[in-house]
Amino acid sequence: MAEERAVSAIDDLRGRIDEIDAELVRLLNTRAECALAIGQAKQIAGLNVYQPGREAEVLAHVQAINTGPLDNAAIRRLFERVIDEARRLERLADLQ
Amino acid sequence: MVVVMQERATGEQVERVIAQLVEMGFDIHRSTGALRTVIGAVGRTSADPRLIELLDGVHEVLRITEPYKLASRTFKPENTVITVGDVRIGGDEVIVMAGPCSAESAEQVEAAAAAVKRAGAKVLRGGAYKPRSSPYSFQGLGGEGLQMLRGAADRHNLKLISEVMESSQISTIERYADILQVGARNMQNYTLLRDLGKSKVPVMLKRGISATIEEWLLSAEYILAGGNMNVMLCERGIRTFESYTRNTLDISAIPVVQHLSHLPIIVDPSHGTGRRDKVASMARAAVAAGADGLIIEVHCDPDHAMSDGAQSMYPAQFDRLMAELRIIAPAIGRSICLEPVARRGWSR
Repeated sequence: MAEERAVSAIDDLRGRIDEIDAELVRLLNTRAECALAIGQAKQIAGLNVYQPGREAEVLAHVQAINTGPLDNAAIRRLFERVIDEARRLERLADLQ
Repeated sequence: MVVVMQERATGEQVERVIAQLVEMGFDIHRSTGALRTVIGAVGRTSADPRLIELLDGVHEVLRITEPYKLASRTFKPENTVITVGDVRIGGDEVIVMAGPCSAESAEQVEAAAAAVKRAGAKVLRGGAYKPRSSPYSFQGLGGEGLQMLRGAADRHNLKLISEVMESSQISTIERYADILQVGARNMQNYTLLRDLGKSKVPVMLKRGISATIEEWLLSAEYILAGGNMNVMLCERGIRTFESYTRNTLDISAIPVVQHLSHLPIIVDPSHGTGRRDKVASMARAAVAAGADGLIIEVHCDPDHAMSDGAQSMYPAQFDRLMAELRIIAPAIGRSICLEPVARRGWSR
């Protein structure tokens, strides 16, 4: 019985993860839309795609509000990837 | 490319590297580790890694793709087979090119052509324009030499390979030769390579005396980029600290080139050693290592040859070598001109 309960708990948790992932994807795309809008504004303002000061602020912010269990280094690495992809999106938009 | 930052690199140093890579058109995959940051730069842009290596805080820059494209096996996974009439270079058959270093007289060229044909060579080699280390050495017979070589090749049903030293000679040599040879000293003569890119005639590119395999493949890239896709490479020994042999024949270049490139690789054991008594050993090793062909100097009277006599084989030695190669080639799944052609009635 204990094994059955454990298996059913895993199924529930996996369902929950799928829901969270769907929400994450939605949020990441909403974030990407913001980044694209900023990219267009940067182009009009004649600013570079790469703004290291702003990227540092973003990374500092997400680490400051982090409550775990992911440690700050892990949060930093995850958001570095988010930023890398946003920058790529801005570059591709620039080409069009 | 992958940029590995130093352990104590600062945030500003990382930012400067990213800024430079973004400016060059790369997408960035940054990974901040406990000790060091690693920056992956992805994109179709080819960039000089040294521009990044020079930045503060950079420990190492690793290139992921080769700087040559058309010569690369990534670009073309299957082997290139160059067809010269009925001779296929880069296929199963190991093609042997042989003949004198230089065309000296009609009689000498005729005797050498007859000898190499009898032994099973498919291509006659012979220089009419000679790049010599000394300006006082024999410089070749020029157009007259080409005529002698072509005549002898035709009489013995051989193809002809001859060296081109400069762009102005291309149109003349093209008229006579089936394969144009670029010598080791010209491997980085980029004007000549570009002009050969416009030719339709196959080119055999020898490895420079001190050239790395990458430099060699980049030189091949010049010819390929010009539109001439019929390029074969030729390992002819590189300069090392050893002085007993004229050069050190780099047998390992054969599997390395075959891994990196789809182009056929020919080996020149004559220049590779510079000594007649060492040529057969290195020729056997080259075939065993998988070479697509050999180019060997054979002279009927090497003691009186006007160039490279010391490394030219006597016809009898060449006959013996060909017999040995006929045993070695099948052991690695290759073939080599099966019977001495004399027995098939080709010889005159």
